[in-house]
Amino acid sequence: MAAGQLALACTMTPLLAFVVAFVLFRNNHAMAIATSLLGGAVSLAAAALLFIEGPQSQPITMEWFASGDTQIFFGFILDGPSLLMGTIVAFVSFVVQVYSLGYMAQDSGRGRYFAFLSLFAWSMLSFVYAASLLQTFIFWELVGLASFLLIGFWYRKPSAVAAARKAFIMTRVGDVGLFLGVILLLEAGGTLDIVTINSPEMLVTLGPKVELIVALLFVGIVGKSAQFPLHTWLPDAMEGPTPVSALLHSATMVAAGVFLFARFHPLFMAAEDAMGFALMIAAVTTVLASTMAMVATDIKKVLAYSSISQLGYMIMALAAGGLFAGLFHLTTHAIFKALLFLSAGAFIHKVGSNDMVAIGRAGGRQLKTTTLGLVVGGAALAGIPPMAGFFSKEAVLHVLGADGFTAALGAGYLAAFMTAYYTFRMIFLVTRPNDASEASPAEPVDASHAHGDPTSTMRVPIALLSLGAVALGIGADALAGYLGLEAPHASLQEMAPAIGVALSGVAVAWWDFGRSGSAQRGFLRGAPAVERLFVNGWYIDAFYKAVVARGVEAIAVVCHALDVRAIDRTTDDMGQGALASGQAASGLQSGNLSRYIALAAVITGLLVAWVSNA
Amino acid sequence: MTTFTLVSMAVALLGAMLAVGLSNILYAIFGLGLSLLGVAGVFFALGSPFVAAMQLLIYVGGITVAMVFAVMLSLALGAKPTARPNPWRRLGALIPVGIFAGAVGMGLRSEGLDATVLDVSTAIPIAEMGMALLQEFNLVFETLSVVLLLAIVGAVTIAQRPPEEEA
Amino acid sequence: MNLEVLVMFSLLLFSIGLYGVVIRRNLIAVLIGVELMLNAASINFMAFGALHASDPTMGPIFVLFIIGLAAAEVAIALSIVLSVYRQRRAIRVEQLTELKG
Repeated sequence: MAAGQLALACTMTPLLAFVVAFVLFRNNHAMAIATSLLGGAVSLAAAALLFIEGPQSQPITMEWFASGDTQIFFGFILDGPSLLMGTIVAFVSFVVQVYSLGYMAQDSGRGRYFAFLSLFAWSMLSFVYAASLLQTFIFWELVGLASFLLIGFWYRKPSAVAAARKAFIMTRVGDVGLFLGVILLLEAGGTLDIVTINSPEMLVTLGPKVELIVALLFVGIVGKSAQFPLHTWLPDAMEGPTPVSALLHSATMVAAGVFLFARFHPLFMAAEDAMGFALMIAAVTTVLASTMAMVATDIKKVLAYSSISQLGYMIMALAAGGLFAGLFHLTTHAIFKALLFLSAGAFIHKVGSNDMVAIGRAGGRQLKTTTLGLVVGGAALAGIPPMAGFFSKEAVLHVLGADGFTAALGAGYLAAFMTAYYTFRMIFLVTRPNDASEASPAEPVDASHAHGDPTSTMRVPIALLSLGAVALGIGADALAGYLGLEAPHASLQEMAPAIGVALSGVAVAWWDFGRSGSAQRGFLRGAPAVERLFVNGWYIDAFYKAVVARGVEAIAVVCHALDVRAIDRTTDDMGQGALASGQAASGLQSGNLSRYIALAAVITGLLVAWVSNA
Repeated sequence: MTTFTLVSMAVALLGAMLAVGLSNILYAIFGLGLSLLGVAGVFFALGSPFVAAMQLLIYVGGITVAMVFAVMLSLALGAKPTARPNPWRRLGALIPVGIFAGAVGMGLRSEGLDATVLDVSTAIPIAEMGMALLQEFNLVFETLSVVLLLAIVGAVTIAQRPPEEEA
Repeated sequence: MNLEVLVMFSLLLFSIGLYGVVIRRNLIAVLIGVELMLNAASINFMAFGALHASDPTMGPIFVLFIIGLAAAEVAIALSIVLSVYRQRRAIRVEQLTELKG
């Protein structure tokens, strides 16, 4: 099949599935689920075929509309990065759908859930293959919508609704920057075609404006990929079902920001100041998020903070010029983070609690496949060779070191240590509960949420992803060649610091949590102020609530008063005025024939006078 | 301006003032008849005796008489005068008339009609008028006949007594 | 003869007719005023018809039409008056205000 048709099939089938499922979901869960799954399977097949066919040199475009001199296209770019990302999205999406068969089997809203998954798949895939910046923006927003719908899936739960709103609003704040950047780009560059935007001629046309444009686009990325300071929505987004967290908030949606960065890499590279800014933000985020993960008790929150931190890694790599490193880490992260979330989901499904200590006490390690998934994923996350995560993290660190970004490199190592620590803290808490432990679950366990052992539909995806987490490390060179880039090759000497840092993190975690007789409280209890700082998220959320939320509320109150007193009053008065003048005018209609004639005569006379004098 | 013309004009205006001034309706109609007579005289002076004759026949002879009939019918049915007239009525009525007349008068002044002199020495031959009626103005003529027919039918229909039946 | 005098005369006649329409309360009296106005217009037509001698029959013929139409109009108006009178026992203008709005 032609590439264009494949791309169309890949992106449109989920849309079709969504429409059908959305219509059916109220009455017929099974049909809705089946349609959604079918859509996912077709989409995956199409994406895989596209991947196999290889990168196309020319994007496939069709003119959509023209406004003045600007022509707006829509179409598909099928180069290396988009094919790679498309395959990842389609694959993880399908895997999550299969997993959800087991996970959501007892949920009363599962038809709706699957419909929304299809909606997300459509939006994300269309975003990935988009050829025009307008298309990109539209689907960027649609992805945000799908995220909102899925985070707030259990809409009767107030915390879920609040989290969904928070996610949407925070990403919206970022989107304002993105939108401004797009407008400026259109105004200065005259086109929204992505291929043209990345060309050297465009850089010449834009001149010094490119700094501002890139900075604004980056603001959008900060929002969507949960970087500091717009990161607080992602931990809250864990209110959604765990497969949703696996799909959206680790592997794909939050990676959309990173992908945008990669997509516009030539443009971004030309804006050096903006890249310095981006590097700084990403470095801060990486370390910040890792600190918060070190003290989190909820397994999903640990993984959420971890995602924020790893996204920081990707952005650091991209900002430093390492396109391959960034994309490679994106790929491996998608696989192992999804794996980790799915495993966590299986634990939660069985025990009915998110708390790691509770899971450990309830015998988490008895779930063999799940524990294996957790360990494999954790090793990949911590960057332990020969996992894929090690190779990709190494690539990132290599880029930072080679280009002389020492501060960022330092941040990278620090975060790597913390990553290894919190990852294995998580693993040990779940798999090695011990009697001497002083830890206790943060909340009492509600057994009604426990659903039993993971079904095969849950275990197979976990196993599959575990395989991927191991295997991908080997394929780095092939991947680089596919993308048309160079994979960095580091000697063992260069890799040593990274390995050392990771292993030392594991060692400290073992000392604190893993060995029998350990108190399982973590070394930070020695510094309670620091621990409290980390637990409260460096008080960033508190700051937002106190300052930003209150500020916006105050403005809203003023606006409301204006609306009611001034605007409503004015329109009401205008209405009253119209009515009054109508009443007055109706006095003319006395019904008296003579008066009518008199009036007519007067007006005619005046007309005659006017005409003859004019 | 011959004496005849001036006298006719005076008669017309006098009749008009009687027509609008007299409160007895029948007398007012007589005033109207007088006025129409005067207007017929003006037509004659303007060189068209045929039109003057028509005016006399139709207007004075037909329309005025019809009005008298109408008055007789409605008076016979017992119309009574009702409310007292408002004393400011006359002034109030003069205002629109004044505005109208003043405005048109001013307009006419600015057009400059003063010195135009009409030549009405020769009367227009009736034969010519007849030919014109049937040639150039044929359509209007025929239409007018239809209108008159409709007017007759309409008048009869409207003025019929409603059929006596249980509603 | 003088065009200006004729036009002034017709204006005067028209104004008298208009005054009659405005001030009289009896419907038939209003009709009288209307007839006066029509006649004034006829005078105007005759006068200007004589002025533009390109087709000297135009003036008189127009007046004939006016007379004819006036006759038709009076017929209908009087029948309306009779009908209204039968239904309402009134031909005072201020009592017939159904169109008041």
